[in-house]
Amino acid sequence: MVLYFESEQEYKYDFQTTSLAYLNRYPNPYAKHVLSSDTLESYIDAEGRLCTTRVVVKTGRLPQFIKPFLGSNLNSWIIEKSIVNPKTKTLYTYSSNIDHRKFIRVEEFLKYTTVNDNTTVKSKVKFSSNFIGFKERIEQWSHNRFSSNMKNSREGLQYVMNKMKERLAFKEKNGLNA
Amino acid sequence: MSVSFAPECTDAKTKYDDCFNKWYTEKFLKGQSLNNECSEFWDTYITCINANLAKKGIKPMLDKAREDQPFTSEEMKESAGTASKEEK
Repeated sequence: MVLYFESEQEYKYDFQTTSLAYLNRYPNPYAKHVLSSDTLESYIDAEGRLCTTRVVVKTGRLPQFIKPFLGSNLNSWIIEKSIVNPKTKTLYTYSSNIDHRKFIRVEEFLKYTTVNDNTTVKSKVKFSSNFIGFKERIEQWSHNRFSSNMKNSREGLQYVMNKMKERLAFKEKNGLNA
Repeated sequence: MSVSFAPECTDAKTKYDDCFNKWYTEKFLKGQSLNNECSEFWDTYITCINANLAKKGIKPMLDKAREDQPFTSEEMKESAGTASKEEK
């Protein structure tokens, strides 16, 4: 069974700021559960787009009802792929858990589109599980967690963008090179 | 900047990330460079990461997940925006 959640968010920032903030969004005070982030691959494809694969380790974010199946290791490993197209000012991102996929697979698809220094982020999150009896529990859990998770990732990105803006203003004021 | 999952790689990661961010904003986004110019930092960093990943039980699952092709998926093509919906 599969469940989808969709949402949309706007930021009053240009493509450089939003895409750079996405790539540098950890750490931030709204993502204390993120332990690490590493780049595994980064290349430019035939269309001139920057393609990146990363691995992120998070702690304690699995639903409580899944924990008995997984033993004591509560860290989750997340794969994160992104494509930046500088010509069209779009950023596509994907992230998914790497382990425990037999129980539940959570996939997040984001599209950042910038028009006139205004960036829209459309997000779609897909929950899949083949585990009988999970549907209701996933619904319950996701309803409880989903909105607060989304809020945190938005505020985290906003925080990183504000910091960038401050830093840039400071450099300009003091005549330092970027 | 976030740390590496392997503490001993964090230093190499920071150097690479600094170089990458500068290249990304000053060249790549401006269409001035189609090569990631941080290869000297990259080589040290990725060597450290690969050595440490090899020690982790997650490696086989990670390798499998790296084959995911999300950007050609229906989810990526469809426009998002409506409220939550459900499929069987």
